[in-house]
Amino acid sequence: MVVTSAVDEAAGSAPAPTSRVVSPWNPANAVTASRFLTLPLLFWAVDHGYRQWATLFIIICGLLDKLDGLVARIFNCRSAFGELFDALTDAACYGFGLIVCAAYGWAPVVPVVLVIALGVANVLMRAVYTRRVGRAVNYKSYAMERIVAYTGYLIGFATGNMEVDFFYWCFVPLLTVILIHDAKRMLIDPVPRAA
Amino acid sequence: MNILSDHAFHWFLMIVTGGFAGAWFVYDLWSLWRSRNADRSDPIVRDRQFGYVVGMTIGVLGVIGVLKFHGVL
Repeated sequence: MVVTSAVDEAAGSAPAPTSRVVSPWNPANAVTASRFLTLPLLFWAVDHGYRQWATLFIIICGLLDKLDGLVARIFNCRSAFGELFDALTDAACYGFGLIVCAAYGWAPVVPVVLVIALGVANVLMRAVYTRRVGRAVNYKSYAMERIVAYTGYLIGFATGNMEVDFFYWCFVPLLTVILIHDAKRMLIDPVPRAA
Repeated sequence: MNILSDHAFHWFLMIVTGGFAGAWFVYDLWSLWRSRNADRSDPIVRDRQFGYVVGMTIGVLGVIGVLKFHGVL
């Protein structure tokens, strides 16, 4: 069970008008979890060389990512845990997609390794931030939200064989700049306090 | 085993990528413009504006990639 609070709002995540209990077993988290169902299908399509099907499955995964936020608003079940779960699911799904594409030669290996390494660094920094706050809370970064969407597209570019080198090599410096920017806020700047 | 013809798939990728990237650029440009008078001493405001700039950059990259894919660049 997760209690949303003013800490989350001050941290820029899971705004809640009042403190109330939100079960982690809610429709929004179910939609988020359903994204994992697209991963075996993506692997199957890549393994068989079905580029269009692989593109379709990663699009479905991306659309479900957008849908869970909508479901959370409709059912009024936003929570700090939900946002954290969403971020971790992003990392798992897109990390898996990138690795599969690189393993099958659909994506260049070097930028994929760099992206994975930067992604792991981001997860570690978020863990440090969570420890600093003292409870499960997702660090919200507007720039990171945008680059995560770009990550979903990266897999689509690989499955669709669309200017793969261009998009992958442009992604790495952009992600690096964002991580440096976010590192200061997560590791150095004071964390917001509860009201 | 295809869903679309290669030609249709090519155009599908271009429309989805180009349309989304172009709209994204315009949306974040507009958002950045609207926030021009916001209090930049607030770290949330600074983070938001940085996000808009990143979004615009991604939008430009998307449009350039589509043009390259179509052989224009």
